[in-house]
Amino acid sequence: MIDSQQASEALAEINEVARRVRQSRIYNLASLMLIMWGVLVFAGYLGSFWLPRYAGYFWIALNVAGVAGSFAISAFGYPKTGIRTFDVRMLIAFLLFFAFGFLCTSVLGQFTPRQMGAVWPIYFMLLYIIAGLWMGHAFVAIGLGISVLALVGYFFIGDWFDLWMALVDGGGLILGGLWMRRS
Amino acid sequence: MAELDDIIHQPLRLKIMAALNALPATAGLEFSRLKKLTGATDGNLGAHIETLAKAGYVAVDKAFVGKKPQTTVSATASGRGAFARHVATLQEIIAASARRPE
Repeated sequence: MIDSQQASEALAEINEVARRVRQSRIYNLASLMLIMWGVLVFAGYLGSFWLPRYAGYFWIALNVAGVAGSFAISAFGYPKTGIRTFDVRMLIAFLLFFAFGFLCTSVLGQFTPRQMGAVWPIYFMLLYIIAGLWMGHAFVAIGLGISVLALVGYFFIGDWFDLWMALVDGGGLILGGLWMRRS
Repeated sequence: MAELDDIIHQPLRLKIMAALNALPATAGLEFSRLKKLTGATDGNLGAHIETLAKAGYVAVDKAFVGKKPQTTVSATASGRGAFARHVATLQEIIAASARRPE
């Protein structure tokens, strides 16, 4: 028979392994979402660069596609994981978040396309950083990295800003998703 | 007080069972992910999974994903029960120690 000290150590070990499994599952599910959104965002910035007059339509269509894709990934993963990563509550949270961003950038303020291109990703990355405080440091690292690179692009990259953002925001999300799959 | 389960109590097997029990009943973990989570070597992990499988605590499923072989390990109902009893015994040991006068 073991003593209470050894029993406590065994329970602590069990809790630590369970915590790592939970985090691994969160990363695994989130990684697919990140890769999908990365591809969409990459396409959105390329659209903004080549056809700036239609950028608004692109982004609306891409966001609708992203929400539909998030539902599909959640439904596909549910039988295997028992976790719904995107449900009606998440959709409402997304819409509220989006509505507040729209209110700030297009109603109360009139942001230029370039400002929009920098503010929206930083605004969304704020969500990643906050979520990362509970769900793992990878979200914080991805959120901070993309935010800093978006600001660098805004201040220092001239006419190539949309291409820069396609690379750092779209590419950053894809790389972040791949990194999470390996974590 | 109930006895500790000798099969589960070994440190690496305890980690394996803890990892598998953190999943939903129908889910399993791939060998490579289990290896990463437990920090074990291939040979060591394989040997301990075999011990758990012989006891009926885990099920091992080998399949091909594309051209790559993939081994998935999941806890059986019997394994989940044994693990829950093992954890309860550990908690009893701690509680008994706290009740004992110095």
